[in-house]
Amino acid sequence: MSLRPTTGTTPGRLPAAPPPLRVRDVTVRFAGLTALDEVSFTVAPGSVHALIGPNGAGKSTCFNVLSGLYRPSSGQVLLGDETLTGRAPHRIAALGVARTFQNIVTTEGTVADNLMVGRHVLSRAGFASTALRLPRAVREQRAHLARAREIAELTGLAARFDTPVALLSYGDRKRVELARALCLEPRVLLLDEPVAGMNGAERARTAEVIDTVRAELGLSVLLVEHDMGLVMRLADEVTVLDFGRRIAHGTPDEVRRHPEVLRAYLGTPGEDAPGEDVPGEDTPARDAGTRGTTAQGTTAQGTTAQGTTAQGTALEEATDSEGDPV
Amino acid sequence: MSERIPKGAVVLLAALLLCAPPFYLDAFWLRIGLFSMAAAIGAVGLGLLTGTAGQLSLGHAFFLAVGAYGYTWLAGEPGPGLPTGLAALLAVLLAGAAGGLFSPVAGRVRGIYLGVATLALVFLGHHVLLTADSVTGGFNGRSVPPLSIGGFSFTDDDPGLVLLGVPFGAEERLWFLGLALLAGTWWTARGLLRGRPGRALAALRDSETAAAVMGVDIARHRSAAFVVSSMYAGLAGVLLALAFRRVVPDYFGLALSVDYLAMIVIGGLGSVAGAAAGAVFVTALPLLMTRYADQLPLVTAPGTTDGGVGPTEAARYLYGAAIVLILLYAPDGLRGLVRRVRTRLRPAPPAPAPATRPSASALRTKEPTP
Repeated sequence: MSLRPTTGTTPGRLPAAPPPLRVRDVTVRFAGLTALDEVSFTVAPGSVHALIGPNGAGKSTCFNVLSGLYRPSSGQVLLGDETLTGRAPHRIAALGVARTFQNIVTTEGTVADNLMVGRHVLSRAGFASTALRLPRAVREQRAHLARAREIAELTGLAARFDTPVALLSYGDRKRVELARALCLEPRVLLLDEPVAGMNGAERARTAEVIDTVRAELGLSVLLVEHDMGLVMRLADEVTVLDFGRRIAHGTPDEVRRHPEVLRAYLGTPGEDAPGEDVPGEDTPARDAGTRGTTAQGTTAQGTTAQGTTAQGTALEEATDSEGDPV
Repeated sequence: MSERIPKGAVVLLAALLLCAPPFYLDAFWLRIGLFSMAAAIGAVGLGLLTGTAGQLSLGHAFFLAVGAYGYTWLAGEPGPGLPTGLAALLAVLLAGAAGGLFSPVAGRVRGIYLGVATLALVFLGHHVLLTADSVTGGFNGRSVPPLSIGGFSFTDDDPGLVLLGVPFGAEERLWFLGLALLAGTWWTARGLLRGRPGRALAALRDSETAAAVMGVDIARHRSAAFVVSSMYAGLAGVLLALAFRRVVPDYFGLALSVDYLAMIVIGGLGSVAGAAAGAVFVTALPLLMTRYADQLPLVTAPGTTDGGVGPTEAARYLYGAAIVLILLYAPDGLRGLVRRVRTRLRPAPPAPAPATRPSASALRTKEPTP
């Protein structure tokens, strides 16, 4: 594989459209529990694809399969012509698949240090040349640092570039993860709940960043998110999982009206008491999650989750006026 | 920022200060300095492995022994009798190779489990040192051939040397050798930590999963960290052998490995300066206490058998106490302590005040990024 562009003339690999990411009949079993049951979907080149579903539906498991942390019992994941299943995580990263985590996982040090970890696969300097500070290693590091700074600017972290991550606010740290993933110059970006736990302003800002990087870097995005407002605003396509199975698929509007989706999120109308009891047989965590989503979904008509704050409403309006971004 | 002293000046001043002792201090003090410098080199290596990569090693003494005995055997009789400079270089590489042989384990085993696995190395090494008489000299050890590079030998007289009215004996000469090696260690280790490998190691220490997903080959980086750490240990071993002039198996026991762990914990994990400071503390303390045993309360002179606490034991108590105190009150070690004092001494930090941040989050969305 050739060395990808590192200096900031053109950000990333703009011209070449990313290859499609195809998930084919992926099944994952954990000791009797089927976490994913023959799930298939395709992330079209350059699109934002959302993966939604109640807690425990298998979204994070799916991400772990995509990034090589889990091996599926059967099925395949393909990026263009390359098979991702069976490859070690670092090899998948080298193919241009980057991800963020649901709970923030950053490294001790400054924002710059973290972003430079993202440049790892794109740089070469080994132990010997770094220890001896050979000109090649020094030059490479400088070029990558310049690019990391550009990405920090793109994601609104430029002012905090040299700040230790530990001192940043929650929203900023979440954005550091996003920026670090972008530092891999990925062709496919996997975002696991990028706005979870953020306040309205932070959400709007992150949504803006995702929109910008998609437009400027031309990458495909696979998004797991509970914030339906964000999903409806950003996604071109939505796949809905429940109990590890794909229950619906389509554009945000189609999915919103899909009867299976309404049932999974809101429960079956008319049989409230028994309907509430069915998930109770499952794990308690799942039950709580389902109820939580149900309550939020009901108040906001399934369009925005987690409270209709001023920002939330603004976000919704923005979605309507903007239509499809890009 | 303006009142800050330029970095070059600090380095120059430190270098001048470190070059001065041979002109003023006697051999006893120089030897303490030499042992401290050797320990600092080894501790920097262990700090890279344990502090940065998060891999515990109790086998550091083994790699020190490989360096020390490797040099002695390669340069001496019986042995190939190579030129001593070459022997020193090969001894370092030998230690690295020994670390490389262990890398199938070092690459796969994580954290404390590696600590237990490396424990085996110390016992194995000690046993080999005692039994392989023809190479190691057995229980009595071997005397170490003095280093000589390009006709300049690190002994008392060959060629005789008097600088500024001070006769330069072995200790004075070795002092400068030690300084040069320590400077090299410092420079390379800092480069490593701030470069791509160091960041990858820190990332895999903080989260193996995240590091792997960022493209870091976990097993390869773990083994490489182990090899590099072994090479620093080997270099420390060579310098120790030169300073001791004799290598004996009992020195390279488990206690030595634990001493090195104590050094990096006291100094502060993950920092080169911290490791060096911890090394000086742990090495110099018992030597100083031995020297001044007669003047210290509660400490008996070495060799007395009246049941009092000997200086070596007393020093161990002291640094044991130091470890407990540091873990309780300064988890970042000496380095963290220094940093805290420095921030307290410095008036209001010139950095953008972080206190105003949360309330400004709404504004920030409009603010153009610089």
